[in-house]
Amino acid sequence: MKKPLLSCLLGFVLLAAAALPASADGGDILIKNGTILTVTKGVIVKGDVLVMGGLIKQIGENISAPAGVRVVDATGRFVLPGIIDSHTHIALAGTNEGSEAITPEADVGTVINADDTSILTALSGGVTMVHTMHGSANPIGGPNVVLKTKWGRPSEELVVKEALPTLKFALGENVKQSGRTVQPGQIQRYPATRMGANAIIRREFLKAKNYMEQWDRYNKAAAAKNPPKNLVPPRQDLRMEVLAEVLRGNMVARCHSYQATETLEFMELAKELGFKIACFEHIWEGYKIADELAAAGIGISVFADSWAYKMEAAEGIAYNAGYCAKRGVLVSINSDSGERIRRLFNDAAKTMKYGGLSEEEALNLITINPAIQLGVDRIVGSLEVGKQGDIAIFNEHPMSAYTRCDMTIIEGDVYFDREAALKDREEAAKKAAAPRDKGGVS
Amino acid sequence: MKNSKRVSSLLALSFITALILAAGPPAGDVGPTYAIRNCRIIPVVGPEVEKGTVVIRDGLIESLGPADKVKVPDDAEVVEAEGLVAYPGFISALSNLFLEQPARPEGQAAPTEVPIQAQPAAAEDRFPPGPGLFVLDQLKPKKAAVEGFHKAGFTTVLVAPIRGVFQGQSVLLNLNGEAFQPMVLRNGAALHINFTTERGSYPSSLMGTIAHIRQSFIDAEYYAARQTRYAKGPAGLKRPEYDPRLEALVPFVRDRKPVVFQCNNLEDIKRALKIIAEFKLNALLAGANEAWRGADVLKKTPIPLLVSLDFRPPAASMYVTQGEELRKKAEAEIYPANAAALAKEGIAFAFVSAANADGASVLRGVRTAIKAGLPKDEALRALTIRPARYLGLEQALGSLEPGKIANIILVKGQIFDDNAQVTKAFVDGVLFRYAEVSK
Repeated sequence: MKKPLLSCLLGFVLLAAAALPASADGGDILIKNGTILTVTKGVIVKGDVLVMGGLIKQIGENISAPAGVRVVDATGRFVLPGIIDSHTHIALAGTNEGSEAITPEADVGTVINADDTSILTALSGGVTMVHTMHGSANPIGGPNVVLKTKWGRPSEELVVKEALPTLKFALGENVKQSGRTVQPGQIQRYPATRMGANAIIRREFLKAKNYMEQWDRYNKAAAAKNPPKNLVPPRQDLRMEVLAEVLRGNMVARCHSYQATETLEFMELAKELGFKIACFEHIWEGYKIADELAAAGIGISVFADSWAYKMEAAEGIAYNAGYCAKRGVLVSINSDSGERIRRLFNDAAKTMKYGGLSEEEALNLITINPAIQLGVDRIVGSLEVGKQGDIAIFNEHPMSAYTRCDMTIIEGDVYFDREAALKDREEAAKKAAAPRDKGGVS
Repeated sequence: MKNSKRVSSLLALSFITALILAAGPPAGDVGPTYAIRNCRIIPVVGPEVEKGTVVIRDGLIESLGPADKVKVPDDAEVVEAEGLVAYPGFISALSNLFLEQPARPEGQAAPTEVPIQAQPAAAEDRFPPGPGLFVLDQLKPKKAAVEGFHKAGFTTVLVAPIRGVFQGQSVLLNLNGEAFQPMVLRNGAALHINFTTERGSYPSSLMGTIAHIRQSFIDAEYYAARQTRYAKGPAGLKRPEYDPRLEALVPFVRDRKPVVFQCNNLEDIKRALKIIAEFKLNALLAGANEAWRGADVLKKTPIPLLVSLDFRPPAASMYVTQGEELRKKAEAEIYPANAAALAKEGIAFAFVSAANADGASVLRGVRTAIKAGLPKDEALRALTIRPARYLGLEQALGSLEPGKIANIILVKGQIFDDNAQVTKAFVDGVLFRYAEVSK
């Protein structure tokens, strides 16, 4: 009921899914005569984009199509890089390992569900890449994964291996389970306070340091000329292995946090233990510590509005994203949802009214900024020669209130085509109205 | 090697018990030597015989062939089988027969993950017996279930436990009566793992479960390595602590005892394959009712598939999440074609009855798969020689050949035709007669 248009569309697009031209190698396509919003290289008012073998080969004017390459006429339309959602939970079989407070071994990359129709929803809003995350039930959750929204392709082809490995952390009400009624006989899970959350994260990292030292000692002894006769390796612990990767700098923290104080404390903790924070999630009080965030080079991934849905979100303001961006913080607008994901462009546009961002700055929040946060700005996030051909075509400027996504392309393959989807819908409606025959599935 | 020795001694045991049964109160009609005459013989391995004789002695097939070439022994009880077809008894390499379990309502999609609001439990009951559980101890054999399976052609079943992530170890049974001990072909046949969650404790999510499975195998390897080392020379080494859970896992990581992964959907198959490769397990994939979707992956692996005849799409499948119409279509047309698609791709598999305890509906499922395009001879192999091979029993079961166990069904009509009826079943040479029902 939430998505009337889509629920109508879904069934028909699905049938087309099997016939998707998409391939693991990437496709070829030429987009002609659109307004090209490159994001990093300005605007070309009447321009073309050529994608060959999945990569952008040429951007400019009067590009002619090599033989056999599909041409899409974008006259009067806007061509932009595929939208990137820096924080969502779509395409997963399960979001939280909530049984324990510390579960870095629980990797969402192991439970990708390529059948999730939210992927299709995302495509209909021009989204081509998502950072799909462990939930916020634990102070230390699990590793997250970056996916492309290649609906109909096998799960392993969705994974973006170039992305920065990230580990989910969370602070505040969710992890102290303040909204939870403890039933008789049940135990209140530790931590139950904000200070507890900080303490348990610190404790686990100290354990991980100890674990790393044990292995270092062992490896050193084992590599010696005459290793001790009774040398026994330490036990391999998947939980500690992940934290060790964070401490080694091979993985960065993405931390769900709302309030300014706990956020600053987490930054202190990261400094003390020597790990890197890529981004704070939601962070409604970001505007209170914008300068500290900018100075530390930590990004934020936030909603445009709709705060105050719980106590710790009470001091949220609509100016949060825009203000932080103006202060030099790397800001992205996220959906955190399989439904809002299809209108990230509307949410980004709100920062123009609340925060005074320009069209360009607002568009950055859902393209190049999340790409930088995910460590994939070398390959996506803007329209540049050599980057991957992830492209969305909108009928109006994406920051206009009247805009909608007409086509979504990933690595040169068309994954969403509004016109084709509507035609399919019409035909299916006709078929449904006609007397039923017992046709098989083709 | 160790296993096969164990099998043969267990087999011997079951023969002895079959003999005792023969002498004692009859489980159906019992006699030590039979000659089935004038039947059509479909031996699965070797050529068909239009009109032939099968001689059974002491629970084994003594000889078989055309009527003029096989002598009926003087001491044999003759079973006149004019108009009947003899097949090897079917084998279900995965079932939950004789186990009490809550029934899933008809038409409800199979759960892929049970979301549970878990609470940390005390350390000692965090993990139920798991890998050390032997399902044999929980069996409640029922005559009706045996009859139902015989009538569907099944004479051998592997019974697997049903609870938890590490579900425990299965038992392989010949359905030769009502008492379960004489039925046992092999106890501890395989370890069974399901991508589910533990109720009320860690892991409460699928990703937690995957981590838990991996950590368990890592720990088992570590445990085995330390135990072995300590046994070799304990001087100067700290004694590794005994752990029953890890001890039970050791044969599966060390000695390649078989591990069966229950795969509730396409992604589970991929998850299992990763774990199998990581720990070099001797594994089988079960469930797999949408295995055709992973044909590209499965073609590259020799890992046996135990395909269930459950045509309900998994709960998270895109065939379920887009409305009732598509779900119904998927159940009626798309999922029944799984086996046919696998056969077309050249991917070998065995059929299993899985959670379905109703023999008749299992056989109906096979017929549905055939109607959806599976060649009949493929279906027959998937119920006989292939599961026998997967279970390491191809010397003893899976076809009609001299020296093999006398598990034979006699069918009025062709077994895969809708009106076919199993009128007699031999299991370990014990004869069961079933009245013909006029349809």
